[in-house]
Amino acid sequence: MDSRKILIVDDNADIRLGMHLRLKANQYETFFAADAFSGVAEARKHRPDLIILDLGLPAGDGFTVMERLKQIPFLAVIPVIVVSARDGLGNQKRAYEAGAKAFLQKPVNDAELLAVIRQALGEPAGTKKPTLLDQGSV
Amino acid sequence: MTEPTRRTSELTAYLSHELRNSLACIQQFGNILIDGLAGELSGEQREYVCIMLQNASKIRKVLDSALDGTPDPV
Repeated sequence: MDSRKILIVDDNADIRLGMHLRLKANQYETFFAADAFSGVAEARKHRPDLIILDLGLPAGDGFTVMERLKQIPFLAVIPVIVVSARDGLGNQKRAYEAGAKAFLQKPVNDAELLAVIRQALGEPAGTKKPTLLDQGSV
Repeated sequence: MTEPTRRTSELTAYLSHELRNSLACIQQFGNILIDGLAGELSGEQREYVCIMLQNASKIRKVLDSALDGTPDPV
């Protein structure tokens, strides 16, 4: 079976690399964008199965991206998971209203992120071994 | 909201945002090392990365309790 494709839209290169390594280890294929404009362009180009979206982005923001995705029928159906360092008070509600499947605040727990991805993709619960941090032993 | 209050609020939100992003990277790559995604670690190396992650976790708790509920920096 082909790998599911995930587009990571985040202006922080280290975050993109870290997510790529984690997702690659879980058999996902990743693509990247570092700003709102490229986020929509890369989504058009690769037609990912899921988008991980930061909110604070150059050339717009995550809400702008979700708004643009909604206007393009074949992109409007892609599940979006918002992963942001912004506070969750107003942004979480706004993200859900904009169509996000989930809102996670950075720093994100790897096991939680993978569980949310699998749920959004309709995949069975994973067998990924939790990190020591996830198990609370660290 | 008075000007000094607004500026303090913006500064707090900015710090929260930047610290969360940096902390996310520390935790992300620490877990990548622990999970052996960049090669297996020796016992000693593993112990040191665990110490790093423990302390990152403490910082997160401090952040959550001290800085949550602040407005956005943008």
